[in-house]
Amino acid sequence: MLRTLAAGEQNIGELAAPFRMSFAAASKHVKVLEGAGLVRRHVQGRRHVCRIQPGPLAAADEWLHSYRRLWTEQLDRLDSLLQAEDRVQSKGKGPKP
Amino acid sequence: MNVVRVTHHFQASPERVFDAWLDPRTAGKWLFATPTGQMVRVEIDARIGGRWILVDRRNGEDVEHSGEYLEIDRSRRLVFTFGVPKYSSEITEVTIEIEPSESGCDLTLTQTAVPDEYLKSNEKGWLGILVGLAENIAE
Repeated sequence: MLRTLAAGEQNIGELAAPFRMSFAAASKHVKVLEGAGLVRRHVQGRRHVCRIQPGPLAAADEWLHSYRRLWTEQLDRLDSLLQAEDRVQSKGKGPKP
Repeated sequence: MNVVRVTHHFQASPERVFDAWLDPRTAGKWLFATPTGQMVRVEIDARIGGRWILVDRRNGEDVEHSGEYLEIDRSRRLVFTFGVPKYSSEITEVTIEIEPSESGCDLTLTQTAVPDEYLKSNEKGWLGILVGLAENIAE
């Protein structure tokens, strides 16, 4: 549903169609997304138009991005450390002059 | 829920890679270390329920990384909580899984956010889980 909304505004009926959901079920689903601050609903006459709220999604994306970078750096550092230890060890094991 | 997953192949045995997380002398050289920082405190109480603290001094500023071990299964699986209190009250859970491979091992790291309500009160958290479970069964 969020993917559909990312492309532009949709009303509840349009959101429900691809999922073969009833209007009531789709409306309940949108309510959950509204509660999470991800979607905002505007009533225009009889139409309930939904629009995605980019703020929380961008924050989630930033969260994922910064931690992924942190762990990639950490694991690279561990890899370098273990390789450096191996080099020292293989030097020590070399033939004595 | 937010989940970060990172994998890395090591040309080292699973035991060596696993121990690098829990041996204070090794961990202090890489874990939460920065190229220009200086690791000033490394405390690892490697048992379930034990705490860990790594403090990296960055431009005269001490940055503490800390948490608690939840699961320790040597060379296979390690689970701990992780937070950086200076920057955020957020606590996350990190799972390390290590699989042996032909030329060493493959490590998968998974990090998930821990919902606030579980942290405020353990009792309340468990109650929440049980209520959720009961609701699922009722459906």
